[in-house]
Amino acid sequence: MKRLELHDISVRFGRLAALERLDLALEAGKVLLLAGPNGAGKSTLIRVLLGLVIPTQGRLRVDDQEVRVERKLKEQIGYLPESVAFADALTGREVLGFFADARGVARPRIAAALERVGLTHAADRAVRGYSRGMRQRLGLAVSILHTPALLVLDEPTGGLDQDGLTILWSVLEEWRGAGRLVLMASHEIALLETRVDEVCLLSGGRAVARGTPHELRGRVPLPLRVRLALEPRESAAIVSRLRDDWKDAPLTLQGDDVEVVVARARLLSLLELHREHPGAIRDLRVMEPPFDEVYRSLLEGMVREGTEAPR
Amino acid sequence: MTRVGRALCLAELRERTRDRWVLVISILFALLASAVSLYGRSASSAAGSLTGPSLVTLASLFVPLVALALGYDAIVGERERNTLGLLLSLPVSRSEVVLAKFVGRGLALTIAVLVGLGAAMLLAGEGESQTLASLIGPTLLLGWAFVSIGMLVSTVAPRQSIATSLVVVLWFLLVFFYDLGLLGLLVATDGEIPQGTVQALVLANPAGLYRLQLVESLSGTQALSDLGLTSSLPGWQTVGLLWTAWILGPLSLSALVLSRGKAFR
Repeated sequence: MKRLELHDISVRFGRLAALERLDLALEAGKVLLLAGPNGAGKSTLIRVLLGLVIPTQGRLRVDDQEVRVERKLKEQIGYLPESVAFADALTGREVLGFFADARGVARPRIAAALERVGLTHAADRAVRGYSRGMRQRLGLAVSILHTPALLVLDEPTGGLDQDGLTILWSVLEEWRGAGRLVLMASHEIALLETRVDEVCLLSGGRAVARGTPHELRGRVPLPLRVRLALEPRESAAIVSRLRDDWKDAPLTLQGDDVEVVVARARLLSLLELHREHPGAIRDLRVMEPPFDEVYRSLLEGMVREGTEAPR
Repeated sequence: MTRVGRALCLAELRERTRDRWVLVISILFALLASAVSLYGRSASSAAGSLTGPSLVTLASLFVPLVALALGYDAIVGERERNTLGLLLSLPVSRSEVVLAKFVGRGLALTIAVLVGLGAAMLLAGEGESQTLASLIGPTLLLGWAFVSIGMLVSTVAPRQSIATSLVVVLWFLLVFFYDLGLLGLLVATDGEIPQGTVQALVLANPAGLYRLQLVESLSGTQALSDLGLTSSLPGWQTVGLLWTAWILGPLSLSALVLSRGKAFR
């Protein structure tokens, strides 16, 4: 599988439009993140891909061939549901054993999958004794057990500790490197910004923005946070100058350091300040706004405009 | 059955045989069945001949309970654990998921019944074992019918706690109150209801069908007359059809409800 496209997909539950004329393409070697508020249509979109919900209209194409979500396509999909819990009485190894049998995967792969998600030590313990993070890891092992061409992960970071996240990142890297497809839905967009290739922002069942994280940042020129470490003898003069020049910029003093929130366009004027007061600025750090602020701003903007953002 | 169906069936069997409620009720049934059998063996020959009917009464209480405990969380449990979507994302049809779950859980019930009645047979006196062996088939049919009913509840219930309440209500209704209701109806109408209607109403409940079938089989048609039923049971074909309907009916409805896709709104 090199490319999976959803064309003009709509899903209606009675009078409620869960998805409206959505177009989306997943490409080999790329990780696509679906983001959006609750009820935006992320889960419905995933369910369409898994064949759990039949769209009211629209087509699915795999490598330019129109397909239906049936046995052949399902064989190629690995799925991690949100907050997955599994049967309490079974051990981790038995859970994987069931999915291995169901997928026709050789038994030795179970041990490798357990090793991959760091659950070898707990493999023969009943799942009822697993923490939320361990269940999530087990779910990840289930989803990758048969090395699917398309990996669908719904809120994959839920409950994962730092080690768990490292495992998730390595799985994403492996799928990207092997030229497979990955679709994720998550609210943890700040955490995932550097891990995904493309973001599709959904709202009210429509795609309201789409692009690489870098492109999306470019569409919303949010102010930057600049931290200046000042020489003590010069700090009063610099602060006074900043207050005069940037009256509308929020400014915070922390000892001899000052933090100011400025528009991107004004960033270069800091260089003038540096020229006028040589040696006064010991250090300068420019911080981009967190990606979830970009997301919120995009969402608010699109909702205000009531239109779909151009690609 | 496909590869996924077979795997699901085995996983269900494994999981269900570890369920604490199922184990507790099954062990209690086996102990009580053994006690009845021992009593029948040690008592007089007249009391001994009551071992079979006593076991029928015991099984008609316990087997539906074990079966409902086996069936009630089949679908709603998966939904609450967020694994229903995962299960249905496998290359398998929804009808096969329902069937595989039923077969796996039905096998668990078969083990419970065989252990319970098997223990009773081992402890029974000479000549009684064969009578007790004749209970196995109808008891399994009773159990499978209730597993099927439990699975229907698990498909329509929005939450596991609601499914639990529903099966408890169903158990009381079908095992206890149904017969009392019929008795009340007969008393209220002063026995004016036609015998055919009474019989149809008794047979419309799988627990009633089980009891009537075994009362007739163990004690003859005279025993039915003693119970106030002048007409004997319909032929084995009709009885077979009734059991098939009770097992496949709720199961088919479960598959239908699950296939309509409302599980994923």
